[in-house]
Amino acid sequence: MMKPQLHTSVEIKDTLREAPLPSLVRIPIEPLHKPVVKKKQLVSCGQVIAENPAKGPHGTGYVHATIDGMVEDILPQAIVIGPPPAPKEGEEPPVFERPEPMADIDTYKGEALCRLLLELGIDTGKFRPSRTLVINGLNPEPGVIVSELLLKEAKPILERGVELLERAIRPATVYLVVAEDKKTSLYSCTVVTSTDRYPHTIDPLVVHKATGAERPDDVDVISISDLYRVGRVGQTKLPLVEAIVTVGDGVYRVATGMPVRELLDATDTPHGKGWQVALDGPMRGEPLCDLSVGVPENCTAITVVQEGLFPQVGPNPCFNCGECVLACPAGIQPGMLSRFVEFDLVEETRSRHIAACLDCGMCAYVCPANRPMLQYLRLAKQQLAAKDAQLAECRLSD
Amino acid sequence: MAQAALPKSSLTVTSAPFWHCGRTLKGMMTDTLIALTPAMAMAVYQYGYHAVEVLAWAGLAAVLAEALAQKIMAREYTADDYTALVGGLLFAFMLPATTPGWLVCIGSALTILLGRMVFGGYGMSPVCAPAVGWCVMTISWPDLIDINGMLLNWDLVHPLSELKYFGLEAVAGLSLPSLMLGQNLGALGAEQSLMLLLGGAYLIARKQLRWYIPVSFLLGVFLTAQLYHLIDPQRYAPPLFHLFTGGTMLAAFFLMPYPSASPVWRTAMLLYGLFGGAVLIIIRTYGIYPDGMAFAVLLANMFTPLFDLIQPKPFGGR
Repeated sequence: MMKPQLHTSVEIKDTLREAPLPSLVRIPIEPLHKPVVKKKQLVSCGQVIAENPAKGPHGTGYVHATIDGMVEDILPQAIVIGPPPAPKEGEEPPVFERPEPMADIDTYKGEALCRLLLELGIDTGKFRPSRTLVINGLNPEPGVIVSELLLKEAKPILERGVELLERAIRPATVYLVVAEDKKTSLYSCTVVTSTDRYPHTIDPLVVHKATGAERPDDVDVISISDLYRVGRVGQTKLPLVEAIVTVGDGVYRVATGMPVRELLDATDTPHGKGWQVALDGPMRGEPLCDLSVGVPENCTAITVVQEGLFPQVGPNPCFNCGECVLACPAGIQPGMLSRFVEFDLVEETRSRHIAACLDCGMCAYVCPANRPMLQYLRLAKQQLAAKDAQLAECRLSD
Repeated sequence: MAQAALPKSSLTVTSAPFWHCGRTLKGMMTDTLIALTPAMAMAVYQYGYHAVEVLAWAGLAAVLAEALAQKIMAREYTADDYTALVGGLLFAFMLPATTPGWLVCIGSALTILLGRMVFGGYGMSPVCAPAVGWCVMTISWPDLIDINGMLLNWDLVHPLSELKYFGLEAVAGLSLPSLMLGQNLGALGAEQSLMLLLGGAYLIARKQLRWYIPVSFLLGVFLTAQLYHLIDPQRYAPPLFHLFTGGTMLAAFFLMPYPSASPVWRTAMLLYGLFGGAVLIIIRTYGIYPDGMAFAVLLANMFTPLFDLIQPKPFGGR
């Protein structure tokens, strides 16, 4: 049995690699997005295919085509773009007109710049003005080396990102949190060092490290990947069409929406029967049951785990060993909470501080009974949120 | 139809996290069995076939009692996680080596049934199961598990009884190494202090046991005994005597940290250990039993919910 490492910091020797351009992409969209293309329409790389109908400067970004091709399908969760049809004899092959670079991006500032970034595909919901901004420079999870690689390999782009953000939201202070042995700095950020041991790399704990406050209201936290996206748009002055993804030991620049199967094949990563595949890191990732799913733009890693490497999770009873309590960074009792959920007493978890849960998954990682702790806790939070929403609706209709 | 539609290279889908530290209940119990082995070997070396017989009956009866209870409760059988075996062996560790087989079987079965299954299974009981078994036996058949009475064939003394009935001079001649190596009369496993200490150290080194409870328990025993010793050195035994006699080591490493019966927060664990250690010495000093170790454990168990009220503030809470 393999004993995994919880330390996330690694020595970066590799550079950013390029994944091949796929011939078909499935670009994920959110339910709020409004598609602005039709089936069979020819689209060029960088063209807007779905809009966020809200008018404000802060929100989910527009979605752009990431390859030249033809819209094959428009689904609730994704827009599929395939290769353009082969030109008939005697016909000219279709010409794809790429959008022009936004040459005047440097003349924008404040909310206008935020709106521009949103239209260029950046999720600006995290950038609220006049607040403390914390940049989480720690690798998000063990085995996901995106942040440290970008800090080493793409520093000019990151500095460009900080510059744009300072102009867009004018934060009072910008902190950069990095691992203890990493000597790095970025533009005008105040550098704070922190332990690189998971779960201390997750956002609320990094904010606590930087500002000394637990869940403060006036602090925004962004990851290095978020910053890179801003910097990349600022550098190319073009819409965002790529994701930076860790696969195995390498970090790849991937066209957004590239099917996971194609990416795994291109990087010689094993998959198939006996392998578990997930989007994002091994601790909080989203399991995949279908490898044709496209890589989302905020994806940090594709995690592949061989079946049988770790004990199998099952609906086993809790035996009160208390390991989850000692591992929990939020100081709550995950074992007790999970039993309330198990026996359908979700309401009881409120008074036992389920709201403090940071969703880090350490309870399930250490559980010797191999209970699906994180699922129980997520279920409880989801059910409580649904109940609250229902209650709010009732009050409104009164 | 549906099956034919499935793609050939189907995936295994589980939920996050996809990594696990690798510890399982079965692994913990396997390590506990390994940790108990040196003490068992020493017991067999000292008491011969008698010890083998008691250990074997206790283990067998515990596993069968658990299986029977699970059949009645229509649960899955869990004998293959070794929790029942460990429970039975720990119970046997507190008996004299010549306990009759039928008594061992009844006690071991009661350990499982009263100490565990009535609460729902392993890890659900608010009390330490082997201690429950021993207390039932002590109250129901005091003569048959009395250490002095059952081990008359051996020309040795039971240190704690000597201390209780004949005073400190009676045990002054016993050397510390002889106490540590279990060369005096005593319960077959509990008396092997050094071997149990080694086993406990192995569990802590393998990260199957946290040090908080064992260390604070031993510290509680040491401090309380030292306090009495300072009050009257002529009457009360020195702390090292208490650390290495009776069931102190068994309680520290195997009974006090019983998962469901001990607190879960760090401060609470430390206080619980100190409390248990103090109670052990108080029972030995004033109680009617020479070694009230199991009673001390059960009493500390009863205070677990109180200790568990000492909690840290949740992250971001007030």
